[in-house]
Amino acid sequence: MLRIPAIATALIAAIVLAWWAAATVAGERKLAGIAAAEPRGNYRITLDFAPERFHQVRLQEAGRLVEVRGDDVFMMDVPPPALRAIAREYWVRAVTPWEGR
Amino acid sequence: MSDALTLPAPATRPAMRRGMARFLKGAAGVLFLLVAWQLSVPLVGMSSYFYPAPTDVVAAFADLMRKGILPVYFADSMLRYSSGLAAGALLGVAVGVLVGLNRTASLALSPLFKFLFAIVEVAWIPIFVIWFGYGVKTIVLALVYVVFFPVLYNTLLGVRTAPQILVNALRSLGASRLQVLRYAILPAALPGIITGLRIGAGFAFRGLVFAEMVAAKSGIGYLIFEGAQNQQTARTIVGMIVLGLTWLAIDLFYLRPVERATIQRWGLTVDAEQRR
Repeated sequence: MLRIPAIATALIAAIVLAWWAAATVAGERKLAGIAAAEPRGNYRITLDFAPERFHQVRLQEAGRLVEVRGDDVFMMDVPPPALRAIAREYWVRAVTPWEGR
Repeated sequence: MSDALTLPAPATRPAMRRGMARFLKGAAGVLFLLVAWQLSVPLVGMSSYFYPAPTDVVAAFADLMRKGILPVYFADSMLRYSSGLAAGALLGVAVGVLVGLNRTASLALSPLFKFLFAIVEVAWIPIFVIWFGYGVKTIVLALVYVVFFPVLYNTLLGVRTAPQILVNALRSLGASRLQVLRYAILPAALPGIITGLRIGAGFAFRGLVFAEMVAAKSGIGYLIFEGAQNQQTARTIVGMIVLGLTWLAIDLFYLRPVERATIQRWGLTVDAEQRR
């Protein structure tokens, strides 16, 4: 009787899981070759477009956003878990270490 | 045995064909609207800020997806909506049962509920913002408030109209108060609870948009508001379309099946639902 809601819920859960897994794999790939600085590091986050307010707010949750130049966002004091969270976002094209100011 | 207790026959080919025909007619209506909208754009001759074309809306949708904005806003909205709906429904059922069964509670709380019911959630949001700040707490609380009253009143109705003969029969067999509640009152109240939930779910959906416009920095309501503020009208329309489609999906995949299951299980005929 409640087959349709059950199938819909299972489908939503499967999509969310697949999304999360794909984002995690992609995030690990973006961070390959980068040794996350402990306890915090400085990074250049490259997007495919000029960041909007949404992206700046999201990135500010991860660390200190110090500059935006074109498609690049320069961030300081980013802890490793937050760096992994940033790399998981599909709108982040690349993450590279940055010497900071 | 009446038809009420028989299971519905599996969908036959003519029924499936009828369903397909209905879907195609609906799709044709939407297609006609889209074509008329697109053709009207050069006739209106306004900028895309004032009157965006469907192609502008599609482009805005693609842009919001590419930039990761829409998935995050959508997820935020759905999380708030489901939390508010679940909490409001639980509270509504619990208080409805309490007030329905306890005369003292009914006398004490009914005037208060009547008073609060008249104050729409829109009026509460500024107060919630002062108390809880901008964000998820304020929005969920507003949704709980919206869902609570329809669920409460429909539960109350269901509890008060539970067949006394069943209650008496259970009592005479030595059932405890909890057993009477479980085996007679709650089943009798279930159609009412589901009706309240469906009404509350609709109210909450509208409430969500308003609450996000006022008290959030993310969500579909915020997208609609922000798009209009930043002269990105196509984004506003994307938000509106996403809301409409989401409601259709919630109704189709959750509310209607649950309502149908309740109708079948608790003694109303299947025909009424099929005639829709």
